[in-house]
Amino acid sequence: MKGILDYVPGSSFLHRLNPLVKLLLAFVLCAACFVTGNHFIVLGVIALNLALALSAGILGRALRMLRSLLKLSALLFLVQIFFVREGATLLALPLGICITDLGLSFSLLFVLRLLAAALPLGLMLSVTQTSDIPNVLVRRLGLPYQYAFVLGTAIRFIPLFAQEMAGIMEAQTARGVEFDTGNFFKKVALLLPLCAPLLVSSVRRIEGGAISAELRGFYLRGRKSGYKDYPFALRDLCALLGGACALALAVLF
Amino acid sequence: MIQLKNLGFRYSGAERLALDGIDLTVEDGAFLGLIGSSGAGKSTLCYALSGIVPHHYRGDFYGEARIEGMDSAEHRPEELSRVLGCVFQDIDGQMVASVVEDEILFGLENFGVPRDEIEGRVTQALAAAGISELRGRLISELSGGQRQKVAIAAITALRPKIIVLDEPTGELDPRSSRRVFETLKELNEKHGVTIIVVEQKIMLLCEFAKRLAVMEEGRLILEGEVPAVLQSAGRLEAAGVNIPRVTTLARALREEGLYGGKLPLNLDEGEAMMREVLRPC
Amino acid sequence: MLEFERVFFGYEGQSATLKDLSFAIGEGEFVALLGENGAGKSTLCRLANGLLKPSAGRVLALGMDTKQVKTSLLARDIGFLFQNPDRQICQNSVRAEILFGLEIALADEAARRARCEEMLELFSLSGERDPFGMSRGERQQIALASVLARAPSLLILDEPTTGLDYRECMAIMGIVAQLHQKGTTILMISHDMEIVADFAGRALVLSEGGLIGDGPVRRIMRDEALLGRASLLPAQIPALGARLGGPYAEAFSVEELLSLAVGKKGEKERAEA
Repeated sequence: MKGILDYVPGSSFLHRLNPLVKLLLAFVLCAACFVTGNHFIVLGVIALNLALALSAGILGRALRMLRSLLKLSALLFLVQIFFVREGATLLALPLGICITDLGLSFSLLFVLRLLAAALPLGLMLSVTQTSDIPNVLVRRLGLPYQYAFVLGTAIRFIPLFAQEMAGIMEAQTARGVEFDTGNFFKKVALLLPLCAPLLVSSVRRIEGGAISAELRGFYLRGRKSGYKDYPFALRDLCALLGGACALALAVLF
Repeated sequence: MIQLKNLGFRYSGAERLALDGIDLTVEDGAFLGLIGSSGAGKSTLCYALSGIVPHHYRGDFYGEARIEGMDSAEHRPEELSRVLGCVFQDIDGQMVASVVEDEILFGLENFGVPRDEIEGRVTQALAAAGISELRGRLISELSGGQRQKVAIAAITALRPKIIVLDEPTGELDPRSSRRVFETLKELNEKHGVTIIVVEQKIMLLCEFAKRLAVMEEGRLILEGEVPAVLQSAGRLEAAGVNIPRVTTLARALREEGLYGGKLPLNLDEGEAMMREVLRPC
Repeated sequence: MLEFERVFFGYEGQSATLKDLSFAIGEGEFVALLGENGAGKSTLCRLANGLLKPSAGRVLALGMDTKQVKTSLLARDIGFLFQNPDRQICQNSVRAEILFGLEIALADEAARRARCEEMLELFSLSGERDPFGMSRGERQQIALASVLARAPSLLILDEPTTGLDYRECMAIMGIVAQLHQKGTTILMISHDMEIVADFAGRALVLSEGGLIGDGPVRRIMRDEALLGRASLLPAQIPALGARLGGPYAEAFSVEELLSLAVGKKGEKERAEA
């Protein structure tokens, strides 16, 4: 089964960008969402992301990411909207709870930012081979390989963890634990005891990975060991300029 | 060549010895099957061969393990791994990359193999494992058998003289298991690689391995050519090791006084035995 | 007990994993599910207890349509043992683990405790031990004990002996056989044809998501062509019997072949006399 963050092979513009540029672009787009206070700019970033996803042939996945974030967003939106007391009251509810125009605007921005900031990271992971990220950081930025490797491993473990968690939940459902409940809070409460098996299997895994890496000369690796070069091309410059424009717009408005 | 002399090891905090006075010599070009019940010390022996014991896992270590003349207590695992490669049980845990090619490159890059040599090594390792067509594929999309072969190719690319595998067919179906062993056989016969494989599936060992070593509670209780070891079927059963059904049948026939020949190891030999037993007078 | 009616299933965004499966398993049967990796065996088992719902067709488990009942409810009567016990075990002592599995099934605490002790005894397990440090075979036994504590009427086993040594394997299968004798219905995935020959009564053979064989193990085991399509080889003794032909073709176990050989010896001796 394929996780939502796994690499999708391809040869689109986005795929062929230098991994470092992809990384930078993702961060610039995230940053743009947070420096701006303009709802439309944030919406624009989301639209830009979807357009990029379309060009890389992974629009379906981008929409799935949005959908899976929607539930959490709705929850955060509700919490936020009742929390903000400043501004003109739009709707007064019993127990002194009210919804204000500022609250509405703030919560909306908050949730839009969450969606807009999560997308570029997800997209970046989808179009980048995981081993390219540490490799390019070592080759182009001179980051010590050991740190880069840990970063790469962490990224690679996300889908493995997700898979393991799904397997654990499946096993627990099959023994009668009610994970198939619709109640979100109940589900969270049921998840807590499962941290133990997840931890056990993760520790075993990481241990195995560490030994295997050690045996394949992990400690011998130097900066010059990389096989791939990751040269920069014109398209990388274009992508960076595009990112800079988006950030500039965000700062200005 | 591997020489183990009175090798012993106790994990720190453990009560009993995981390895207890192991004496074993593995010649160049051998295909050795290592068998025994769980907890018998098979995995620890693999660790000791690769230097993981005593360098990674600490504990009381005694005796001596020489891999191609290198004393494992003095040489670090990454030095030993230039001559001895390991493939472990958890296939997914030992992968470091998401694409097949990168997985093979990892070790080559680490060992600083010259760039102009890398391409040839990758191509050859993939071909030797019979997975040339998988080069650009995502590891997560491969079947268990294919992933196991990727793990093997990642090791063979480093051209070790010896490869140690810990239950490589654990989760595979009969066909994929056979294919993994066929790959090992080819490495052994065509490329002269010494193979040491821990395996529970006795039938595969009977077919592919040349020698068998049996472990029980940290000790090596039997070692020799496969047919010779199988002759001590009773000793194997006591150690919790499965034996082929034709061998069980032969022992039962012996008890009935119907058969006095050597114990059969596979179907063909079993058939020959039965034809002899059932021969009309 | 378990009924598949023209069941189709496909994971999201992939072609169908299972195609048009129909079969029924009656009470008290011991069914082995055979096929190569990726044939759809695990998917079939997950459909049987409602972890997955069919995309078309109907699955009736214990008379209930799995689409209309929650899996956690079905789990009270359908035990499911996974290949990897680590995913199931989540408590730090054997006793706590078995009690955790019982919490959902039994309301009365005294009854739970009694049942738990019963299981510890049946499996000769020590309740205080921490499962973390135990071998895979021992953990698999704990997982099985916890599943069996609820006394399921249908037990599904997904490669229960993978990664176990021969002794551990026989310990698990011994208990499963005991349960079967007491009337529990069993559906078991296994690659080990010796185990299938020794324990199962009926076999279902899957290949590329379709059911290509269904019948008594004794018949399926002799159908080398069928097994070959699922890339399986028959168990050694039935294969030997088939090669010898004649009266030996029916021999299925070491004991059967032995008694035939002993009979033949008797014949020879009478002829000589």
